Amino acid sequence: MTSSVGVSPGPGARAPGARTPGARAPAARGAWWRPRTTPARLRLLLAVLVVLSLAWGVVAGLTANLHASAAASVVAVSEPLSLDAEQIYQSLSDADATAANAFLAGGLEPAAARQQYNADITQAAVRIEAASALVGSSAARTQLPGPRAARAGDGSAIGDDLATLSAELPVYAGEAGTARADNRLGLPLGAAYLREASALMRGTLLPAASDIYTRESRQLTGSSAQATGLPFIVVAVLIGLGVGYLLYRASRWLARRTRRVVNYGLLLAALAGTVSLVWLGGAFAAGRADLLHAQQAGSGPAQAFARADVAALQAHADESLTLVDNSGDDSYQQDFLAQAKLLGPGPGTLLAAVGPSGGGISADAEAWYQAHRQLRALDNGGNHPAAVQSALSGQAAAKFALLSSALSRGVDTSQAVFATRARQGRDALTALPAGMIVAGLLMAVGCAWGLSRRLAEYR
Amino acid sequence: MNARPPLRRGLLAVLATAALVLGAAAAAAAPGHPSGHSVTARPAPTAQARAAAATATCNPKASSLRPAGPPQVTSGSFMAKIRARGYLIAGVDQSTYHFGFLNPLDGQIEGFDIDMIRAVAQAIFGNPDKVRFKAISDAQRIPDVTSGAVDIVAHTMTITCARLQQVDFSTVYFDAAQRVLVLKNSAATDLAGLAGQKVCATIGSDSLAVISAAKATAVAVPYWTDCLVLLQQGDVAAISTDDSILSGLAAQDPWTKLIGPRLTDEPYGLAISRQHPDFVRFVNAVLAQLRTNGRWAASYAHWVGTPVPAPPPAEYGG
Repeated sequence: MTSSVGVSPGPGARAPGARTPGARAPAARGAWWRPRTTPARLRLLLAVLVVLSLAWGVVAGLTANLHASAAASVVAVSEPLSLDAEQIYQSLSDADATAANAFLAGGLEPAAARQQYNADITQAAVRIEAASALVGSSAARTQLPGPRAARAGDGSAIGDDLATLSAELPVYAGEAGTARADNRLGLPLGAAYLREASALMRGTLLPAASDIYTRESRQLTGSSAQATGLPFIVVAVLIGLGVGYLLYRASRWLARRTRRVVNYGLLLAALAGTVSLVWLGGAFAAGRADLLHAQQAGSGPAQAFARADVAALQAHADESLTLVDNSGDDSYQQDFLAQAKLLGPGPGTLLAAVGPSGGGISADAEAWYQAHRQLRALDNGGNHPAAVQSALSGQAAAKFALLSSALSRGVDTSQAVFATRARQGRDALTALPAGMIVAGLLMAVGCAWGLSRRLAEYR
Repeated sequence: MNARPPLRRGLLAVLATAALVLGAAAAAAAPGHPSGHSVTARPAPTAQARAAAATATCNPKASSLRPAGPPQVTSGSFMAKIRARGYLIAGVDQSTYHFGFLNPLDGQIEGFDIDMIRAVAQAIFGNPDKVRFKAISDAQRIPDVTSGAVDIVAHTMTITCARLQQVDFSTVYFDAAQRVLVLKNSAATDLAGLAGQKVCATIGSDSLAVISAAKATAVAVPYWTDCLVLLQQGDVAAISTDDSILSGLAAQDPWTKLIGPRLTDEPYGLAISRQHPDFVRFVNAVLAQLRTNGRWAASYAHWVGTPVPAPPPAEYGG
């Protein structure tokens, strides 16, 4: 079968190097992008539409992948790491407070306190190991003993902090153990070891844990911002709309040229394009909403609760250490007041940052401060045993337990909200990259099929 | 403790620096102190100049007030006010084993210093337990006495001419002397043998100046038990201060020993406000009884050990 408009090419009509079929027609002479015959135009249109369809698939797929992998990293790396960091921070603070409080009981340390201390140390050790493994797998650069400048990143700083924690935690536990043993023998030396252990905790371990926590929270916020960021998705949607518009113009042109209203191939391509665009936009919007909610109602409050809990624990350790020390040096009491000021309640305090649920907790904090003032009055009035009793099992102990459990509950609740919503957000985006590529392929196939049917009519 | 040398070294460097500064400051603040050595030549403000001038005629051991007779609570006296209040307020140490320490087993403050206070309470109230103990730091001793926050201080406190400018003291109730505590395997035999090595004392103590004078590196920490922690961890070679305090540390670690001669003379007295000479005479009367009725010797045997020497003789300056 010969082409109905096929004309034998004249000598010399062939453009040098032109090997496209359209070059066979002398009427197609001129620039390749402005063919004059309909089949040539159809061929060019086919090529352009297939390329655009595939390009859309690639652009949309890459964009979707960018957001999906950021969301997946929020759930798979940042969330567990920041949870580990928070647990390390809280466990260490709790160990410090528990050791000091149990010390007040002398040789007859309450079994519950001993168990809690042991659980704190174990928890901290396990979490340090887990975090080290996560950091090691997510950032190999932490392993490089390179020059200082190359180790400036958060990842390597976290690695250094974790190394500090791994090295110093056994030293701390050793000193706390010596303190306990000396205390059991009734030696004042025990108090010196406890002070030494607490100084190591506050001077080295807690700052390292706090640093990890701060950096982890920053990375979590970063991953989350990457997953919810708008620029790429806006560009992708604009490209998608552009492709759709070209598709529309092509089908209009085709309808005029061929006097056929519907081209099923192009219709399929248009459908696939529309579906992919709506899916991309919708899934992104849903995932973004989930991730933003996870941050605002989850990780944000969880951080605020954790910070408040750590401040409360440190103040609690101060309360006990003041009683252990009891030498007229009021540095621990000064630190208690500083931590209480930090904790709040009041504008700009840690309790103000935990949000609407802070009301009841503020009352708990005030109740503890009140019990603490009574305890100090007892101690300053020369009734040391009654003050110790209050800190160990009396009013101060009960009020602190209320405050601390409210704060821990806040951390757990917020953490659960975060985990649920972050997973939903990730799941909304999971199938998106593959879907976009399939849609691009479908569009390309639709265009190719639709146009080649028209093209066939010219052969 | 090998896991921690960098931290330790850093800490010790800071402490050593602090020690030098504080040692100098302590020496400057106590220009008349017998163990103050050449630092007495430091340029001094007026109050210190007066103290230095008084040094020439001051005998710390014989500067207290003579009691009229056996202890008696006369009406209108400070003792009567204390009795009306219902308890004696005593500023004490709570971390110096065997002198003033909080016994973790029963939560009570006990020790040789505490026995002296209980004897005073016994004389006022007929009850040795009518005391409120206020645990205070070394630096708080004089301010608390002068402000009236406490009635009396029993806190391993050396009577010095400089301190006599600010507070009154009872007669000497314990004769201490600066010596040196080392681990049992140490080759050192005295402080001079520790030149160039680290020797621990508390911040603000007079012992720092003696350590520095012996060319040893002074390391200053807040409490004497902190010194024992550093000695046990191998971070200092020795601890040097009053033998009374050192024997309390040695009692907590049988692997230590006291070495060398008496480096200084540290007569301990009970500090009382200069506003209350009647109370000073009263306390001296109590101490005079303790010296003769065997209670001083019993306390000594209980807290310091045997053989029990003769009590320091009561000498009066007025």
